[in-house]
Amino acid sequence: MIKFNEKAPYAPVEYLYDVEEILYRGKSRFQEIVVIKNPYYGRMLLLDDVVQITERDEFFYHEMLTHIVMHSHPEPKKVIVIGGGDGGVVREVLKHKTVEKVFFVEIDEEVINVSRKFFPAVSSGMDDPRVEIKVMDGADFVLNRKQADIDTVIIDSTDIIGFARSLFTTDFFNNVKNCMTKDGMFVTHTESLHFHKDIVIEMQEVLKKVFPVVDLYSAPIATYPGNWWAFAVASKNLLPRELRRKYEISTKYYSDEIHRHAFMPEGMYEKLMQRKLEW
Amino acid sequence: MIKNFKIEKHHADIVAKATLFKCLRYLDRETFETPFLLVDAEKIREKVSLIGRSIKNSKVFYAVKANPDIGIIRFLHTLGTGFEIASEGELELLLSIGVEPEKIISSNPVKSLKFLKLASKNGVNRFSFDSPDEVEKLAHFIPDCNVYVRLSVPNEGSEWPLSKKFGVELDEALALLCRARDRGLNPAGVTFHVGSQCTNIYNWNIALEKSKTLWDMAAKAGIKLGLLNIGGGYPIAYTKNVMSIESIEKNINNLIYDKFPEDITVQLEPGRAVVGDAGIFVTTAIGKARRCDEDWLYIDVGVFNGLMESVGGIKYSYIVETSKQGRYKKHWTLAGPSCDSFDVIDKNVRLPEPEVGNLILILSSGAYTISYASEFNGFSIPKTILI
Repeated sequence: MIKFNEKAPYAPVEYLYDVEEILYRGKSRFQEIVVIKNPYYGRMLLLDDVVQITERDEFFYHEMLTHIVMHSHPEPKKVIVIGGGDGGVVREVLKHKTVEKVFFVEIDEEVINVSRKFFPAVSSGMDDPRVEIKVMDGADFVLNRKQADIDTVIIDSTDIIGFARSLFTTDFFNNVKNCMTKDGMFVTHTESLHFHKDIVIEMQEVLKKVFPVVDLYSAPIATYPGNWWAFAVASKNLLPRELRRKYEISTKYYSDEIHRHAFMPEGMYEKLMQRKLEW
Repeated sequence: MIKNFKIEKHHADIVAKATLFKCLRYLDRETFETPFLLVDAEKIREKVSLIGRSIKNSKVFYAVKANPDIGIIRFLHTLGTGFEIASEGELELLLSIGVEPEKIISSNPVKSLKFLKLASKNGVNRFSFDSPDEVEKLAHFIPDCNVYVRLSVPNEGSEWPLSKKFGVELDEALALLCRARDRGLNPAGVTFHVGSQCTNIYNWNIALEKSKTLWDMAAKAGIKLGLLNIGGGYPIAYTKNVMSIESIEKNINNLIYDKFPEDITVQLEPGRAVVGDAGIFVTTAIGKARRCDEDWLYIDVGVFNGLMESVGGIKYSYIVETSKQGRYKKHWTLAGPSCDSFDVIDKNVRLPEPEVGNLILILSSGAYTISYASEFNGFSIPKTILI
């Protein structure tokens, strides 16, 4: 059987996957897009040779990226999803009945097309009438929003030092803040706590210069090197640790209980930020 | 619009992801004029906490010459680091930010008279030496100071060997220690330097062996030494990975405590290892040409305004801003901006082709770059920015 060897530049480990079949291989304006089939994970989406999602476990990442901010907001109606061209986050967002509008902003239309074709269960929400697809740089989209009417902003990007960097600049964070209501919540992924703790800290510090409330939670992701994946969450005033609505959607991993336990214990968070966690 | 850089797997061995992330965020945000040096403060903090950790009774004195930027010095001072200096200019810099004399040593074996006067006035009293004349100078200016003699040791395997200019052999070292004692100085110890960017771990074995021999010779002559200054030399990654500081220090620690008494004081003088890999030089491609089958790429920093060490054989790694996807790579002769034909940084550097005006990032360039820079040909000395 042929193998796929994932060598993400900054991961101290490499993964080796059995490949039953290469279902798609193409190059967009931005990146190389590949879909393979693995006996355990099922179909896997690779962007520039880095695993993004797999059929078997994509819900860990998509649920955890989406539902923390969606449940800590009292009534999320308008949502911006930036990146996540596979549609997984959009699917999760639409599980919330309060949602009236989702701006789905993806820079690479090819990812959307590939997901529609090869990951129908992930891309299933894209054609919902509440979803408006915008093929553009998410940084430009928030820059050009004139009203502060967005309830939650969710970033599902590729690596932070690649071309997705426009979603990690201070200007971008300020623009996100400006387009959100006073109860607005923002979330983005920030690397592995095992391998890149320093970047996790840096992102918390950067966000604290923009948002009054910044916090950190994590989720276990089997296919991302370093597995213990951190998410930075920020708001204008609401604490993200609190659920403000009843948990009544259907999920596989996320739950109200997981919501409370996903956050780093406060004492540990303090140690992390003082750079006293040594590993 | 953010800039597009071609970041590859081999860059990951050279620059930390967090350092690169901070640097790229800076470049995305600010408007600026190149060239300048970005230095990641957190990387320095990490290195300072690492260096000396595996050597018992050791104290770190940052070699100011590596990068004397006042922001860096101030930051190191807040971290509690000591400083190793060689001149009145470096001393003035430290005094200007309130560094205490107990935090300062000088391992320059041949010091200027002006420096000694200023050192005497400000209470600096630990110096290296390796000649009778230096004993006389020290006895004259700072009569009761502590001195450590510089031994000559092999520098093979160091990219920047230092031993020819300084250092003496064992018999002469003993004679110098005795002379220092006779002239009223305190013969405190011994020092050596294995050479900067030392990738040959055996240099420390030989140097420590030799130091111990001198230690015993001195004891026989009635001089009890207590200070072992092991200089600098820890390597950083330029184009390939190097042995970790932890492994080097574990070896050194074993060697020291095999041979020397437990109550010894060990001094370290890292420079490159503190700031080198925290620095990224931000430069611009200013021209391209094809001459005699060679592709030349000209950038706005060169041998005279920051990359002097390239002349001594240091090779850097580069990250190129590319406006087009997947441009194929060429082998470049990389040259600086001045009119001097000596101003060639490297040859056969395999890089994607940049457009004129694109940025070229030079990795691991925090040490011995700005501190060597001159204004030759009217190119000003690049600034250091601590981020």
